Amino acid sequence: MTFDRRQILAAGLTLGAMSLFPGMSWAQARKLVFATFTGSWEEAHRDVIVPHFRKATGNADIALDPMLSVDMIAKVSAAKANPPIDVMLMDPGPRLSVIGQDLAAPFPVADSKNYQDLLPVAQLPEGPGIFFQAVGITYNPEKVKTPPTSWDDLWKPEYKGRVGITNMNSTLGTAFMVELAKTRGGGENDIEPAFAALKELQPNLGAVAPNPGALATLFQQGQIDISPGNFNAIQILRARGVPVEFAKPKTGTIAFLTTAHITKNSPNAKLAAALIESAMAPEVQTKLMQAPFYVIPTNSKVQMDGDIARMIAKDQEELKASFVFHDWSVINQNRAGWIERFNKEIKV
Amino acid sequence: MTAATAITAPGLAGPATAARPRIGREWTLALPLAAFFAVFFVTPLLLLVAVSLYADAEMTRFGLDQYIRFFGDTFNLAVLGSTLLLGVKVTALTLLFGYPLAWLYTRSGPRMQSALILIIILPLLTSVVVRTFAWIVILGRDGIVNNLLLSLGLAETPLRLLYTEGGLVAALVQVQMPLMVLPLITTLSRLDPNLLDASAALGAGPWRGFLKVTLPLSLPGIVAGCLLTYAAAVTAFITQSLVGGGQMLFMPQYIYQQTITLHNWPFAAAISIVFMVSVLGVVMLFNLLGRASKGYVHA
Repeated sequence: MTFDRRQILAAGLTLGAMSLFPGMSWAQARKLVFATFTGSWEEAHRDVIVPHFRKATGNADIALDPMLSVDMIAKVSAAKANPPIDVMLMDPGPRLSVIGQDLAAPFPVADSKNYQDLLPVAQLPEGPGIFFQAVGITYNPEKVKTPPTSWDDLWKPEYKGRVGITNMNSTLGTAFMVELAKTRGGGENDIEPAFAALKELQPNLGAVAPNPGALATLFQQGQIDISPGNFNAIQILRARGVPVEFAKPKTGTIAFLTTAHITKNSPNAKLAAALIESAMAPEVQTKLMQAPFYVIPTNSKVQMDGDIARMIAKDQEELKASFVFHDWSVINQNRAGWIERFNKEIKV
Repeated sequence: MTAATAITAPGLAGPATAARPRIGREWTLALPLAAFFAVFFVTPLLLLVAVSLYADAEMTRFGLDQYIRFFGDTFNLAVLGSTLLLGVKVTALTLLFGYPLAWLYTRSGPRMQSALILIIILPLLTSVVVRTFAWIVILGRDGIVNNLLLSLGLAETPLRLLYTEGGLVAALVQVQMPLMVLPLITTLSRLDPNLLDASAALGAGPWRGFLKVTLPLSLPGIVAGCLLTYAAAVTAFITQSLVGGGQMLFMPQYIYQQTITLHNWPFAAAISIVFMVSVLGVVMLFNLLGRASKGYVHA
């Protein structure tokens, strides 16, 4: 290899500049690409995590690319050697496929300041949990006068034609079915009771939405008045003035962790770790918990506050007591069969 | 085509061959496009065929298992059938509504024409997602249609319109309408108005004139419009899922579900190939009709 004068000069200047401004020593091949979720998630991450990350890394270049977990997997698995994404966000189901397909690099736990402060359930070395998502009963308080307290309320005859669900393509739809099975004597390995219950629910079903986003639209349109729903989706609707409330079922709120992963072979692995570090920081999670984001924190140092304290849990103890987690390793094994069955059996 | 024959004819007839080499190299003009198609269309298609030939979801061994699985289950055939039928319904309705519209256009004065063309093209200028969401607003329990029916006393309780096949067909007909109307306008405005006058002079009433003169002569436009509408309706992923809902399964969502949710790429590829071949079959049928109609027109 030969160097000409200009290259040496440029290299020398760069080295000099890097020692003057230590922040610049984050050598960047390209912008750090953070694949976040679509909609309000992107806003939340852009407004809170990104500024914290830029401060910590001396203004490293970052781009947000919003998409669904499953799309991230498709993109990364199509270009394993040179992935277009550096940090991926995963729901529990996709998370296991990412690990199974060896698409993620482990998070450098030993170098992390915040990892030890995460709730034990979020301490996952393959990619720590940076927030929880919660699924409970969502309803329109103008039409549903008595706040629901149990999943069984969806079967009440007065809700004929006004109940909404999603199909099993989404985490929401699948988690609801598993929980249904659990409350009726089944579980991750025995979905039968859920399908039987869904057949009984059919007179009440007003809509089977293709995805959770469409389910939210249906509340807005008055098509449905009660449904299983994601806490954050409800907050977005409430912020837009749609009359909709979230209720915790007495059997517990279905919860799942959203984990952040460093993409394997990422040219920005160090920056990717720094971004996840920012996402775990108590000050970031405290800010994300407040309006208008209402993101449920995983860092035990965060004091529960506002709507989250009122509607989800007043502290980490209550959170642990009221959250129900499902075993997605079992769910993933069975899911294809369930989806096929749902395709065939659930008609409105 | 006709121009090419016109140029070659003298070359063949006489000794003047100067024009020939130039014609011989005309095909090179098509090379860039051909290369583009080869790289971005044929190659991915061949890859798709290759993926569909894996026997298992992990893509370790080859076999025809995916196709056997598809054709071995009546549920899959029902999904394919209902998708192809959906296209037929949408195409028939677009033709029914689109033909009078195109006819009205060719019979109107220039001012009316520019107003009509704006109305016809307007749907193309809005995103398909926006148009589809508009249909959710129209068809919902609290939507325009239900409110109208309730206030007129025609219904006691809100009807279920959203997430039904009827609603989906209505939405698709509106969304695909320009694809039908534009080719029809092209054909109809090329019709010589003297032909109708002549048929009237020979004693044909307006309906007879339409059935014996206008309709046969506009067949090429009908065929082109049907072809476009059909292909667009059966593959309309967004409208199908947003207006059709999560329990009505058509081929595009089926493919999406198998790839994105279940990561079963070989099965998804096999369904795609089956779907593509089926749609091509229908398109070829349309084309045959078109050719037959041309023979009819020239006869």
